[in-house]
Amino acid sequence: MPSRAKRKKPKSANRRPRRNYRLIAVLLLVGAFAVYLGYLNHLINSRFEGDTWAIPSRVFARAQELYPSLVLTREQLIYELDLSSYLAVKAEPLPGQYRLLGGSLEVNTRPFDFGTQFQPARLVQVFFERGRISALIDSGSSEDLQLFRLPPVILGSYYPDNDEDRLLLAEDEVPQRFIDTLIAVEDRQFFQHWGLSPMSIMRAFLVNLRAGKAVQGGSTLTQQLAKNLFLTPEKTLLRKINEAFMALILELRFSKQAIITAYVNEVFVLQQKRIAIHGFAQASRMLFRRSVDSLEAQHLALLVGMVKGPSRYNPFSSPDAALSRRNLVLKIMFEQGVLGEAEFSEATAAPLGIVDRLPGVNPFPAYLDLVKRQLQASYSSAELAQRGLRVFTAFDPLLQRNLELGLARGLGRYNQPELQAAVVIADYLNGDIQALVGDRVTDFPGFNRALMAQRPIGSLIKPLLLYSLLGEQLTLASKVKDEPIRIQQSDGKIWEPRNYDRELHGEMSLYEAFIHSYNLPFVQLGVAGGLEALAQNLAQIKLLKHDVVYPSMLLGTTSMSAFEVSQMFQVIANNGYFTPLTTIRSVTDQHNQTLERVPFESHKLFDQARMIQVQRAMIGVTENGTAGYLAERFPARTLAGKTGTTNEARDSWFAGFSSRLLTVVWLGRDDNGPINLTGASGALKVWSDIMELQGFESFKISRDDSLDWRHINPANGGITRKSCEISVLLPFPKDQVPTARSRCP
Amino acid sequence: MPLALTPRLFCRLAILLILSIVAACSIPEKPPNRYQDDIEVSQPEARPVTELQNQALAALNQDQYQLAVDYLQRAIKIQPRNAWSWHYLAQTYWRDAQYDRCLAMIERSNSYGSFDEALTSANDRLKPKCQQG
Repeated sequence: MPSRAKRKKPKSANRRPRRNYRLIAVLLLVGAFAVYLGYLNHLINSRFEGDTWAIPSRVFARAQELYPSLVLTREQLIYELDLSSYLAVKAEPLPGQYRLLGGSLEVNTRPFDFGTQFQPARLVQVFFERGRISALIDSGSSEDLQLFRLPPVILGSYYPDNDEDRLLLAEDEVPQRFIDTLIAVEDRQFFQHWGLSPMSIMRAFLVNLRAGKAVQGGSTLTQQLAKNLFLTPEKTLLRKINEAFMALILELRFSKQAIITAYVNEVFVLQQKRIAIHGFAQASRMLFRRSVDSLEAQHLALLVGMVKGPSRYNPFSSPDAALSRRNLVLKIMFEQGVLGEAEFSEATAAPLGIVDRLPGVNPFPAYLDLVKRQLQASYSSAELAQRGLRVFTAFDPLLQRNLELGLARGLGRYNQPELQAAVVIADYLNGDIQALVGDRVTDFPGFNRALMAQRPIGSLIKPLLLYSLLGEQLTLASKVKDEPIRIQQSDGKIWEPRNYDRELHGEMSLYEAFIHSYNLPFVQLGVAGGLEALAQNLAQIKLLKHDVVYPSMLLGTTSMSAFEVSQMFQVIANNGYFTPLTTIRSVTDQHNQTLERVPFESHKLFDQARMIQVQRAMIGVTENGTAGYLAERFPARTLAGKTGTTNEARDSWFAGFSSRLLTVVWLGRDDNGPINLTGASGALKVWSDIMELQGFESFKISRDDSLDWRHINPANGGITRKSCEISVLLPFPKDQVPTARSRCP
Repeated sequence: MPLALTPRLFCRLAILLILSIVAACSIPEKPPNRYQDDIEVSQPEARPVTELQNQALAALNQDQYQLAVDYLQRAIKIQPRNAWSWHYLAQTYWRDAQYDRCLAMIERSNSYGSFDEALTSANDRLKPKCQQG
């Protein structure tokens, strides 16, 4: 029998390894499947438990304060509400809506979190009289309001690389009717299945078999979510398998409410130029100017209907298809008991009710660019594109509109298509940059000239030069000579500056030389000592661009951007108080927790009394000097300003201020070619067009007890009679009041 | 009936004339200066500004410094030359131990309200506290 045993042994020996192989194979398969499931689980975890979506950061304008006596017309308030996507209605407004009542406007504001304060929705009636708000009444309590703050306009967003935009809804913010509609249309077994619905798959299989092509899908909402979140839209077996397992894991790990909320936030609904609008909340804002909690049945039906084919049922490009799809959804809603009969009939008869056109993507690119540059000190581009930050700025949409209209009007004066422009408008008292453009095409997101174009500033340097000259030796009444001067430069070359009109004007007061922007007296005084002081003063406001100081700086050969020029004039207009110009006031995270605040800064860098003398001379420029055009155009107003022109009229500048606003305008060509416009014939006119639209109050000089005011003859600086026609009222330090008298000519 | 210039009437007229001259001289000489600033607190925006100042002071009493700053910055945006708003901002920064900011705000407040004795003395009292900080 040994032979038998021998024969058996190998048999059993052969069998064991085979069983082992099977076992190992099964174990390997199970292990691989476990790894596969683990990997899917990891993918799901990494999205669901972290930041599921990249949320664009939103940039908000200033919050408009409303109070009786505020200069604001009803048309301006409507413009502001329209920018915030408020809907005009005839019935009592819901949050996010307004209606016109006689001459008044009733608005129901959306709830808004300002970071330090939450403001609930509020129904307020605003009355107007002669271009001002005359009364504010809380419609609920009939209480007279002294002050009310409108939630701010979103002026733009920083989008993630995938160009997706969405507003997130929390689980308790998704209206029940929305969920019911979605389930009725997309997945009626949603609350029964575990992620997969064999019945739906079978039904779809039979329908597709009958049709001979794929006409119906059997995917559950959970499968659709898995596909949208983690997979590609390609139709392969492998993708379907992944999708099925992911759906199962999602159902195991998360509640039905969490899954449907994720679906509502994820689903692609609409394309807005390059930006893909995901989620019903943002789509609802875009299409209907409504938040999801104020949608009516027909709106819900359109949104849910669009999910099947965002392009096919786009209500702008295919309104008929969209309408018929919407009505089909309404029918399903009615059949499934989501809608009553009366509401169904009413909703079916209603028009699509969408906005005329979608708002542009970031219509204020230059301002948004500046905000981003200022944010980048604290936040990376990736953070801005993904963290859903809320950036509160000083942007004033009403002022921006006037700037854009005024600029278009102003540039229309000149038949120069190559003429480019940059304009900055700031509140010089608190440093807020309120409006800005960096291109003559104001919504073009290209080269931002307001920040990037470094151009010689010409005579715009003279106010700071005048400040540097005034002091123990010189006052506005000091006599100066407008006569030729030759200066040997460090390289041995001779510099012979000239006046713009190439004339010589003899002896006059410093005030007179300033308002007519004569170059020669300022070069004479500058080389005699003012140049070093000018350089020091420029350095104080961080605008000294070179270590080497050279005489031609006295005539503004230093290059600056319009933004930098604005900073220089901010100090001048604000009595010598330096306030860094900023767009940003605060930043919060997406949960409204404050991350950063930019408080009002105020640093006294210059002497107030001396700066007041400069301001007075700048008023002279607009009354009788190179910008005398302003006195003709706005005869009842007092403005301060300075023109600037560079060699061969390549750059045209004007910087001027009223009671609060500082506006700097630059005109020029990108190729640096001549534009044949001086500061007075170019930028000044554009400046006036903008300010006329905006409306403004006169600039007033601050009281300063260290100054005495006297009437002088500007031709020679002597004291003269008030009644003398040519006399000008100028301020002087008490110990430097002129004593020489001048006869009235 | 013709008016006769009696010595008595002459004396009365002379006294009237002297009184008029004295009265005219007692008015402080203040040449009209259309370039100079008015006092802002008399303007109609004063009411919302006062409301914001009061809310700021209430927040300050509850040690809610950031909220107080927010109210005051809103007040200043409405009426930027209101010296009291700057003063309250200085007070808030002092309470919040931001002493450099406190001093800067006092300076700014004084620049707008040098004619207001109550304000300047309030600023004078606050200044050393911020300096010591």
